[in-house]
Amino acid sequence: MRAIPAVAFEGVTIRFRAPSGEVHTVARDISFDIAEGTFLAIVGPSGCGKSTLLNAAAGLLFPPAGRVLVFGEALAGINKHATYLFQQDALLPWRSVLDNVMLGPLFRSMPRAAAMEEARRWIERVGLKGFEDRFPHQLSGGMRKRVAVAQSWIVNPRILLMDEPFGALDVQTRQIMENELLGLWQETRKTVLFVTHDLEEAIALADKVAVLSAGPARLKGVYEVDLPRPRDVAEIRLNPEFNRLYTRIWADLREEVKRSYDARHP
Amino acid sequence: MRDTLDKAPEPLGAEDGKLATASKRRKAGRGVIVALQVATFVMLVAIWQALSVQQILDPFFFSRPSDIALRLWEWLTTGFIWEHLATTLIEAFLAFAIGTVIGVGFGLAFARVDLLAAVFDPYIRILNALPRVILAPIFLLWFGLGIASKVALGVTLVFFVVFFNTYQGVREVDLVILNNARMLQATDHQLLRHVYLPSAMAWIFSSLHTSIGFALVGAVVGEYLGSARGIGYVVAQSEGVFDTTGVFAGLLLTSAVVLCVDLGIERLERYLLRWRPRA
Ligand SMILES: Nc1ncnc2c1ncn2[C@@H]1O[C@H](COP(=O)(O)OP(=O)(O)OP(=O)(O)O)[C@@H](O)[C@H]1O
Ligand SMILES: [Mg+2]
Repeated sequence: MRAIPAVAFEGVTIRFRAPSGEVHTVARDISFDIAEGTFLAIVGPSGCGKSTLLNAAAGLLFPPAGRVLVFGEALAGINKHATYLFQQDALLPWRSVLDNVMLGPLFRSMPRAAAMEEARRWIERVGLKGFEDRFPHQLSGGMRKRVAVAQSWIVNPRILLMDEPFGALDVQTRQIMENELLGLWQETRKTVLFVTHDLEEAIALADKVAVLSAGPARLKGVYEVDLPRPRDVAEIRLNPEFNRLYTRIWADLREEVKRSYDARHP
Repeated sequence: MRDTLDKAPEPLGAEDGKLATASKRRKAGRGVIVALQVATFVMLVAIWQALSVQQILDPFFFSRPSDIALRLWEWLTTGFIWEHLATTLIEAFLAFAIGTVIGVGFGLAFARVDLLAAVFDPYIRILNALPRVILAPIFLLWFGLGIASKVALGVTLVFFVVFFNTYQGVREVDLVILNNARMLQATDHQLLRHVYLPSAMAWIFSSLHTSIGFALVGAVVGEYLGSARGIGYVVAQSEGVFDTTGVFAGLLLTSAVVLCVDLGIERLERYLLRWRPRA
């Protein structure tokens, strides 16, 4: 008997009604399973529906057709096993770093003192010791992402949803954060759904790469990444297998990126 | 709000030094502005004084700044005014407090429960369109000549300002921040406390600045139309004997009080909204 997948999409179709009134299909009949402990990267052209799919896995959005199963149960509200690192800044701007990181434990009724202690530990872990009392606007973009990482990992979720978390960072900061993410993940082996439009990032981090087609998103293919772990995101790029994979997936992805580009620039 | 959240990536680690120079420059600008404000006041008063001394403005209708100052001094030193001032302030404070609490409460409820907003929308509009001063005589009938009728009038003025701003503020909440809190498993109550209220705070404060004035208007107008105490009563009495100096002195006192309270609110606002980046 097969183990129950952490997340399973079953024929998920998502539509939006545009302001003009016409119905716009963003994802069509998406089906796939993510086994527990898998680091899955999702790539696809910009605007194809990656964030939308993640929102469906988070339980923030309900598909009119199909369903999302989490550990075998159909989602009927917020996905309680998951936390979400959003593409945009999502920290509470009116709370300090410490208060932001404490939110998860507090919402789960942990006593204040314990939550604070736990939060301090996590702030130190993401390298922000000494910044506890700052407000988000007093931090750099990279620091805000670290806070967001601490905020979502502190509650020890079984599933992590991450939407281009490092997309807005410079190359160096990004590599550091990617390595830190890998380090954290290595310890706990949580299930990760990591959206990115950067194929190199996807291969460097993930066990599997799912390629989505240009909107409406369909599942174009899922590729196994059998690169050794633990990895360093800079070194792994030199691995010949990395290049082989890159070429293979890119052939698939390029078509979709081009289609999506052509659709927008007729 | 929107600005803070969607702003372009700022330079990594804005230096404290940079911020300090910027705020110093602002302080220098502030000094000049205050000086100009005082100069404007002095000039207007001087012109008024000169014109009334020259009898170009008839002091019977326009009084004189010197007379008004003298009258205020008299009121304050003889202690005549304290009882009236206290009455007005208590009425205004009660109207402000009650109107704000009800306004925030209804604002939150309406913004969170769509059905409520949909059903009561026309009624709220009708009530808000009503000229409130016309209610004053009715309130006098209902609540008597005492303090209650003035508070009631003030509440009808304060409530709508606070209500509309709270409603708007809650509606403007950033969806990503809200969803983040929901993913962290905030309960409805926690969402209210950690997300909706702080997010609406800027709106609520802007309504407080307006509603302080309204609370006082409610009190003074109520007193003016029927009472035995309060600044409005003093103004009405002065008017009865064609004492324009008394009327002006009463008005001036009222404005001074509003100004003081407003400054207090501003300080509180600056503290509570200190998380916002200063432009
Ligand atoms: N709430 C909404 N209402 C209407 N249309 C929407 C809504 N959210 C997303 N869309 C549309 O759905 C499509 C997919 O959006 P989505 O944000 O999922 O793309 P994405 O793959 O995450 O893109 P990117 O890589 O640029 O973040 C877009 O065409 C977008 O315009
Ligand atoms: Mg996206």
